[in-house]
Amino acid sequence: MTQSDPIFRLEGVTRRYGNLTALEGIDFVAEDNSYIALLGPSGSGKTSLLRVIAGFETPDEGRIWFQGRDITDVPAHERGIGFVFQNFALFPHLTVFENIAFGLRNGATKVSDAEITDRVRESIDMVGLSGLEDRNPDQISGGQKQRVALARTLVMQPKLVLLDEPLGALDANLRERMQMELRAIRERLDVTFLHVTGSETEALAMGDRVAVLDAGRIVQYGTPDAIYDSPSISDVALFLNRFNLFEGTLKNGIFEGAFGAVPVASARTNETDVYAIRYDRTQIFDTDSSYLPGPALPVRYLASEYLGSSIIFLFETADHKTVEVDHHLSLGEPRDLIVGKNYILSWDPAQAIVFGKEITR
Amino acid sequence: MESKVLKPILAVYVGFFILFLYGPFIVLGILSFQQGPEGGPQFPIIEWSTYWYRHLFGLTPPSRIAPLPVGEALVRSLTLAFMTMVTATILGVMAAQAFRKRFRGAGVVFYLIVLGMMVPGVLTGLGTSLLANNVIGIERHWWSTAFLAHVVYTFPFAFLVMLAILNRFDGSVEEASWSLGVSPITTFRKVTFPLIFPGVLSAMLFAFTLSFDEFPRTLFASGRDQTLPLAIYGTFSVEIHPNIFAFGVMTTLFSFALLAVYGILMGLSVRRAKKMAMQEDIA
Repeated sequence: MTQSDPIFRLEGVTRRYGNLTALEGIDFVAEDNSYIALLGPSGSGKTSLLRVIAGFETPDEGRIWFQGRDITDVPAHERGIGFVFQNFALFPHLTVFENIAFGLRNGATKVSDAEITDRVRESIDMVGLSGLEDRNPDQISGGQKQRVALARTLVMQPKLVLLDEPLGALDANLRERMQMELRAIRERLDVTFLHVTGSETEALAMGDRVAVLDAGRIVQYGTPDAIYDSPSISDVALFLNRFNLFEGTLKNGIFEGAFGAVPVASARTNETDVYAIRYDRTQIFDTDSSYLPGPALPVRYLASEYLGSSIIFLFETADHKTVEVDHHLSLGEPRDLIVGKNYILSWDPAQAIVFGKEITR
Repeated sequence: MESKVLKPILAVYVGFFILFLYGPFIVLGILSFQQGPEGGPQFPIIEWSTYWYRHLFGLTPPSRIAPLPVGEALVRSLTLAFMTMVTATILGVMAAQAFRKRFRGAGVVFYLIVLGMMVPGVLTGLGTSLLANNVIGIERHWWSTAFLAHVVYTFPFAFLVMLAILNRFDGSVEEASWSLGVSPITTFRKVTFPLIFPGVLSAMLFAFTLSFDEFPRTLFASGRDQTLPLAIYGTFSVEIHPNIFAFGVMTTLFSFALLAVYGILMGLSVRRAKKMAMQEDIA
């Protein structure tokens, strides 16, 4: 298989629970040997999608193709798709070794004991669990459980592994380390990871490609850069948590919002009119400043948050909407602001992204 | 303050309660050591002896008191209880497993199953007997009609126990097993069953003990050969001797032994269940 062949393909996959539609006609093509992050807020249907691909649930409509084969009606245990659960779902009555050996020992194809031992040892080494073989799952830490869950899946040599918020149960330090390890492990094996997460930072950091799921539909699919720089609809921008979003009206190429009327060069189709500017592209000026790069938004300073490499300044507009400014410290010392004092926020209009019902070219 | 008054009162109350609960058994136990064969089933104890225990096993010289006709009945009851236990538990596990997924008519089926333990026993027994004799036209036996009546009675208990266990069971370990290429049947054997085993054990205990001393259903449904409760009841109608008390003590000890086995097996699998619970806590 070449790099560009799809590992799996979804055709109009729909899943309903009573009146609730969890997945609505999803079409999706996933490249082989890649790391795909599936990003979505809770309730967006991301876990449903994973469960449908794994075969734990059947779609109400649509087909699922895996390695060129229609697997829609194939039961989960015959699909050869790995699954890593958020709660790890280790077998509590088996040791670490037996947990990892489980699929080889009890699967449809007989594997000799010698081969089982070899392959289990190999994957124990790969995930760095040596010395813990005889422990029970209740005698190891959360991070180690995660590794057992991963080793247990990878020892079966699947071509596709579905990971359902695999880092959700880990603490922050461990999460970052596991992020790197997951990427490294995947690169060593010829396997596609489909990693579901509700964290935008995790998705952007880990995925070769990121799919954004919203209300049961995939609203954007692309590289992290592409999604970060140009969200396709305002919901994606909102979910990325990197943009100040302003409501207003777009008419005849002019956007009218809290910052006045601004001419707009281009706009993307959206259900509402929204003006978006990234936190780190918003600048702070004094109220009597004579030069502004673009529109002027009067605000009141609330507080700041120190993040190590940058500072987040929080402001409030006249209609009590919070606006954030991200000042990266590599750009120089931040200015001293006085809490409660009024300032003007401005930005280069060329860097704004405008969404509108009316499309302007 | 309050507890200083309340506590002793409650303690005395509980003491009386337990005495009331176990009083009959204690009296039975004491009287079983009555002197024999002249001593009767009443106080005072003429002389302490183990005569009635030896009488039970036919180790005493022949006297006017016939040995208790319970030997065969005991074997029958044990066999019947075992058959019932196995059948009811298998049915209970299977039915509860089915109820993990909502299916059409689940509510109706649920009540139909539970009905088996709600309907008065005499009615079930009588009904079974009439059905066998008059409608189908087969003979009644402890191993056929009575067995059926026992299963209908104990199956709901096993079912409810398993339902409670499976309600709390986290199905993701089963899904994990499937995703590793293990078939649902093997998954049940290797994952589900070991994890629900404490519940299975409880269901088995329920079914066994309920069947072992079942009376009203068996009375009508068992036909010629009697089970133990029927045989014991039969001896009451003649004359009561302390050998029945001795036998009562023996069966109680047997029940305790059963409970001990249950306790040991439970203890072993609870350790396993704890591990399971810990894993769930993290999630």
